[in-house]
Parts: sequence; structure tokens; C-alpha cells
Amino acid sequence: MNGLKFIQNVKALFGLTPEDGEATKKKAIKELLKKLKLRHILLKQELKNETDLIKREAIHDSIKILKKQMKKGKDILDD
Amino acid sequence: MKRLLLFISIIALSYAFFQSKNLLNISAGVAIFLFGMKSLEEGFRFFIGGLLDKFLKKITNHLYKSILFGAVITVLMQSSGLAAVIAISFISAGLIELAQGIGIILGGNIGTTTGAWLIAGLGLKISIATYALPMLVFGMLFIFQENKRLKGIGYALAGLGFSFLGIAYMKEGFDAFKESVDLTQYAADGFMGIILFALIGAGMTIIMQSSHASLVLILTALSASQITYENAIALTIGANIGTTITAILGALGAGYEGKKLATAHFMINSLTGLTVIGFVPQWITFIDYTAPFFGIPQEEYALKLALYHTYFNLLCVVLFAPLVHGLVKVVNHIFKPKVTAENAIDDVLFINDVALDFPDTAQETLFKETKHLYTNVFDIIAQGLSVTKEDISSGMEAEDIIKLRNYALHVNMDDYYERRIKEIYGKIINFAIVAQGKFSEISDHQFVPIKNASIGIVEAFKAAKHMQKNMLRYLESDNEYIKSEYNHIRKNLIKHLRTMQMIFNTTEEDVAVLLLSKLKLDAQNYDIAANKSLDNLIRTNKITYTMATSLMNDTSYAYTIASELSKVAHILFMHSSTHVEESSEALILNEAEVSDLTHASSQRSTL
Repeated sequence: MNGLKFIQNVKALFGLTPEDGEATKKKAIKELLKKLKLRHILLKQELKNETDLIKREAIHDSIKILKKQMKKGKDILDD
Repeated sequence: MKRLLLFISIIALSYAFFQSKNLLNISAGVAIFLFGMKSLEEGFRFFIGGLLDKFLKKITNHLYKSILFGAVITVLMQSSGLAAVIAISFISAGLIELAQGIGIILGGNIGTTTGAWLIAGLGLKISIATYALPMLVFGMLFIFQENKRLKGIGYALAGLGFSFLGIAYMKEGFDAFKESVDLTQYAADGFMGIILFALIGAGMTIIMQSSHASLVLILTALSASQITYENAIALTIGANIGTTITAILGALGAGYEGKKLATAHFMINSLTGLTVIGFVPQWITFIDYTAPFFGIPQEEYALKLALYHTYFNLLCVVLFAPLVHGLVKVVNHIFKPKVTAENAIDDVLFINDVALDFPDTAQETLFKETKHLYTNVFDIIAQGLSVTKEDISSGMEAEDIIKLRNYALHVNMDDYYERRIKEIYGKIINFAIVAQGKFSEISDHQFVPIKNASIGIVEAFKAAKHMQKNMLRYLESDNEYIKSEYNHIRKNLIKHLRTMQMIFNTTEEDVAVLLLSKLKLDAQNYDIAANKSLDNLIRTNKITYTMATSLMNDTSYAYTIASELSKVAHILFMHSSTHVEESSEALILNEAEVSDLTHASSQRSTL
């Protein structure tokens, strides 16, 4: 650990510097968005293969939610 | 009885102080030292809130790391007692395992030896009071600061200052004593003497609740030649055993796991004490032989005692570190949790007094107890729907469960509430309110939401109870239409409960985020669909108006169950200590966003 990093860590420990919470949050949202996109692709494939009407409806609902969540995530990242 | 003992102690001490000014000095020294230790502890409590939880999880996954953590925290706080309190609180809250807790205790034993070295090496040689006074001044300056951590530094500095001042008073008292009274005339030789002084050492540690204070007293008395070296060793053995009684007293208000740890602590120190007590003369020879290797002159008895103290505690670790898992088995065998019979009154599993020691443990305890409450309510809501919790947890389709359970299951929900909900709910609310008061700075985002989750769980139960009466009647009805409507409600709630189970069991963040939004969407969709269905049945006279009003009311109750449980799932997921990030919260759809989706769907279906 170099000197500057050590001083920053000590400052953070004593609550003298606010952590960059916004950047950390955006990074985490980016990671979660990747997972949601992957889940979206998987559900779309599942929908293609599903023949049961009730199950198709449930998958469709999930896809709708995922789309809305991905849009929400994108809006937060763009801000 | 306690008050009488206190009264007698005050009278006896007052008389003794009147007779001897030196005894007053020594006692004042002990009191100031203990006050300093308390202040030091208080200072560290300002730091450990929130930090400790993250820190413990990272470093206590291996035994050697737990030992290291216990040693470091005891060196910093100069209190093995606080290390034990931390371990007991975190074990009781389920944040660490028993084996890790034992590791912390073993580390605490090593850490406590540094105190003996500091006192013997520095405290008794230099004018320690010179350092105490500026520490007290700077400590006070920091205590008046707004910043929580600077305040913590202030308490720690003032604590050190008071401890130093206490040592100086004790030293002064013993030095003056030397000129008038020779306490060594009361020294006891032989094995019986060792046993007697070990008992005195244990007794004074139990009274002072601090092995550190005992050690300071022993070292100052030894350096003033008021006790013999052999008796000082016996006192140290006793102090090491006595300190475990402090942990046992602290664990009285703890859960099973806390009691197990306190017992393990007692076993470790007592067994080591018993191992060495018969060999004190041999130990003295061994120390005489090894002391020169550490540059300790033969006549430096205080340093030699510190060396003995180190050997003793290292022996504890060497003997018991390889046996930690065996020790866990032994204490698990001693403390077997009571099995609650189906018809017995269920009580809290996690809430206990020690959980309120730290904000992290209080939050975790409140969270776990709320999940316990949810498990019971989940069980009774399932029964209220005339299915079992096993049906919901099974992989069966909801439609198949309805077919399998096509009869009403009569269960007394009021009785269930009295036996398995009321007590737990009451204690959760009480615990949350106490925690909110104690940790007011963080209560809004840590305790209030979890308390609200408990309220939501009980609201869901109440709605299920109101719904049950008609549910039982119409599941046995000859009117297939009304039966079908109630089966529809059952099916939707079964799916809802199942989704909740999936949220609590999943380790994948994206799945949980999706399911939490889906719970809200299902609750709203279900309400709309039920209303449409009801309109049709009334228009076509397929159900009576009594049935219609019952169905309307019960649809509303079902919606309450679904929406309350959705909120509960959201809160409990966000407060679960595992892998939940702030990003998850941001991407879970809120009520308005779910409404947008619902209206978009209903508009499409009407077009």
C-alpha cells in the first residue's frame, strides 16, 4: 500500500472523507444490468419453446418487467 | 440481597479508607483504571458500528484469522472482555460461527499479554501520570467534536489517560504501603498457598470484571514487593480463570450460541489453569531459565510475571487451537436447543439482551427474528388456504395443488396466533423500539423498515384470518362457480407465497430483483382480474348476492395479503446481509411503475 492510499484509508476510517458512493452505485447497476440483459435473452428463448398458455403469460410478464428495469437502469446510468 | 451486599461493601470500604489513606489511594487507582477501561471501550464502540460486521466476515473465515482478529482487537482496546463481548454478540446474532468465536477468544488471550508487558515494562518504570494528563485534555477536546469518529478517538484517549492515572495511583499507594505495612507476611507457601492465591485472583477479577485491572494490581503490588513472586503467579492463574466468569455473566442474557462460547472460554482458561497450577515451581525455574533470552534481569519480577502471563496464554492457544472443532462438539452436546412441539407456545429464537450491544448485531437479530415470524405466518396462511407449507415448497404446479387439496382444512387461526405469533411479534416490536432508541442515528434506515416488515407480516396474517371463514364455507359449497372463484384466489396466493420463498432462497441478485417486481405486478393484475370475473358472475346470476359480497371482501383481503407480503419481501431482501447492493433497490420497480405496466396490459386486452 503506498503512502497516499494509506492516508486515504485512514481518512475514510475516521470518517474524514466521504466515499464516492454515486460512482460505486453506478458500477453496481452496470453489473446488474448485464445480468438482467442475459436473463432477458434466456426468457425470450424460453418463451419461444413454451406451449402452455398460462406459463407463456407468466414469462411474458417477466419479459415486460425486465424491459422496464433495463430502461430504468439505463436512465440512471445516463444521468 | 444485592443491595445488602452493596451496602455492606460501602460501609466496609469507608471504614478501611478511614483507617488507611494508602488503601484509599490503591482503591481509587483501581476505580480510575476501571473507569478508563470503560471509556476506552466506549471509544471503540464509536468505530465498530457498521465496520465490524464487514471486517468480521472477511477475516474470520479461517481459525488463524479469527485468532489474529481477537489478538489485534484486544491489543487495540486493551480489553479481552470486550473481545469476548463482541464474539458473544456476533455469535448470538448468527454473524459468525462458534469456532470463529473461539478463535477470537484465543486471540484475545494472546492480545491481553501486551497489556502486562506495557505495564511491567513502562507503566511501573516511568512517571506514567505525566502522560495521563495531556491525554485527558486532548481526549476531552475530541469528545466535544460533532464527528462520531473523532468523538470515539476522544473517548479512547481519555480512557487511556484515566487508565494511566489509575496505575499511577495504585503504584503510589503500594509504594507508601511498603513503608508502613509488609503484606508479604500474609504470603502463603506451598501448593495450598498457590490454590489460595489463585482463588483470590479469580475472586478479585470477578469483582472488578476485568483481568486487566487485576493484572495491574498484581504487577504494582509485586513491584512494590508487597506480594511474593510465587503468589503473584498464582494470582495471575486465578485472574485468567476469573475473567471467564465475566464472559459467563455477559452471556447470561445471550442465546444458546453465546452461552456455548462463554462455556468454551471458561473451559479453555480453566483447563489451562488446572494444567499449570500443579507445576508452578517448575514454571518459575523455566522462566528463570528463559528470561535472560528476552533481556530480562533475574531481579525484574514484574517483567518475569509478564513473561509467565505470556507463556500461560500461548499455552492456551497451543493446547486448544487444534481442538477447536472438538470443543465445539462438546459445548454443542452440553447445550442442546429445546425442540418446540407443534402445540407449544413458540418463542423468539434470536432476540436476547446481548444483541443490543452493537448496531450490526441488533439489526441482524431483528432481521432473523422477523424471518422467523414470517416462517410461522407463512405456515398459517398456507393452512388458511387449505394447503400445507410443504405443498407450496414442492415443485407441484399451483393448479395441481388445488386439485390435490380440494377440501377445506379446518384450522383454528386465533389459537395459532396465540401460540406461534403473538409472543414473537410482541418481542420483535419491543426489541426494535429499544434498538431505535439506543442507535437513533441509524434507526431510520436499519430498524424502522424491518419493524414495518413485521407489522406487514401480521397484517397479512389478519387478512388471511378474515378470509378463512368464507374460504372454508365456499370450498365445501355445491355452487361450482363460487368454489372456482375461491380456488382462483387460493391459486394466486399459492403462487405468491412460492415466489416469496424463491426470493428468500435465491442467491442470484437479478432473479431476486425480477421476482420482487413480479410480486408487485401479480398483486395488481390479480386485483383487476378478480374484479372483472366478479362482475360477470353477478350479471349472469351465477352466484347469490351474499356470495358476491363475500367474494368482494375476500378479494380485498387476498389483495391485502399479496401487497403486504410483497412489501415484506422487498424489505427483508434489501436488509438481508448477503450480497444485496444499493443497485438492486434502484432497479426494483416501484408501485407507480408497476401500475404503468398493468394499465398498458389492460388497455391492450380491452382493445
